[in-house]
Amino acid sequence: MSAEHDEHGEHGEHHHHERESESYYAARTKALESLFREKGMIGVDTVDRVIRFFDHDMGPFNGAKVVAKAWVDPGFKARLLEDANKAIAELGIRDGIEGENLRVVDNTPSVHHMVCCTLCSCWPWPLLGLPPYWFKDPVFRARVVKEPRAVLKDFCVDLDPGKQIRIWDSGAQVRYFVVPERPAGTEGWSEEKLAALVSTEAMQGLGLVAA
Amino acid sequence: MKIQQYLGGVDGLGPVHVEKRVFVEPWEARLFGVHSTMMGTGIWAWPDLRIRAEAMNPLDYFKYRYYIKWQGAMVDFLIKHNYITEKELDEKTDFFLKNPDAELPDVGASEVTQRVVDYFYTGDNPYRDVIVNPRFKEGERVRINDMPAAPHTRLAGCFRNKVGVIEKVYKGAWLYSASVPTDGLGVPQPIYLVRFNTRDVWNDIPDSADVIYFDFFEIYVSAAD
Repeated sequence: MSAEHDEHGEHGEHHHHERESESYYAARTKALESLFREKGMIGVDTVDRVIRFFDHDMGPFNGAKVVAKAWVDPGFKARLLEDANKAIAELGIRDGIEGENLRVVDNTPSVHHMVCCTLCSCWPWPLLGLPPYWFKDPVFRARVVKEPRAVLKDFCVDLDPGKQIRIWDSGAQVRYFVVPERPAGTEGWSEEKLAALVSTEAMQGLGLVAA
Repeated sequence: MKIQQYLGGVDGLGPVHVEKRVFVEPWEARLFGVHSTMMGTGIWAWPDLRIRAEAMNPLDYFKYRYYIKWQGAMVDFLIKHNYITEKELDEKTDFFLKNPDAELPDVGASEVTQRVVDYFYTGDNPYRDVIVNPRFKEGERVRINDMPAAPHTRLAGCFRNKVGVIEKVYKGAWLYSASVPTDGLGVPQPIYLVRFNTRDVWNDIPDSADVIYFDFFEIYVSAAD
């Protein structure tokens, strides 16, 4: 590297490069929270509380509980498919942001549902918490609508070619959630044991549930 | 044409990176906490974030990680709306770059925390209890409009000019937002769930029974015939 390049890099490329490093993003985030605190726009415990909220109150454990209940109680499942917001309240699950209007669909031996958001990253927060990276990835969003079976292979899911795929692309007020098929060999299992089988991916149709 | 408004169906992108974590760096979770505060205290709303994502250079949109894009959008908004200045943010950033273990100031507005948690449970339901007469009914064939480009849209580009069937007419009217320039979303209007045969959206794929559903604001819908 020439001295001239070094000198240029000091003020140009170097600065540009520094602004794309993880340490820069971390410092900038800390700077934002710091300014918010100084200006009285945030509490000292707000960010920790938000993180805890999605670890303990609003997360995929809610969705898994709903799926397990739907598997063991056909009456509940019917109410869930009819009015999801009302039905989850029976289980003590509160709806809210990004889930004011939930719709639940269920996978069957002939129909496989998948959820996506090609415009942004709409996701049913009250049942699943925050979306994982794959859901927000432009590559996933671009491909899943047109070639869902190929995308399922990226998730190591080999879907029965005889199944119809129904894609729910969230464009407006509704947030979609999938009840996966109950795996064979789980007869008589407790709801708690069943819920532990259910992945976030399965509740958006990007995974199957195995016992 | 903005790629971000036409993502569905873009070919040749290679495999999906199946990263199952929500945050991949600790700073992302903290940034999300600040964003939630902005939402919960009414500083900004989703359209403010989405319009910035749609305004990005499409190559950058693909290049940068999700929360890196959020950080850029948050900073841009906060500076433009005079919540912070670029100078003070740069100075603080430099300080934390040089002192990564420095503590955050032990001051703040304690009432904000509960307000943000309450907001998570209240949400922001765009339903408006006003009388509307939906122009279309269930079972009707409709063609999706090819709207002129706007800075922000809720019309996924792949459905433009495509014909589908109204599966459901949602009750009442829905207001998206009037805070950013869109292609016609700023008034309460009906929303329709429309079903398409996947093969009708893309004719270069094998025929199948597969279908796609999308919720359309009425401004995007016309009679098919």
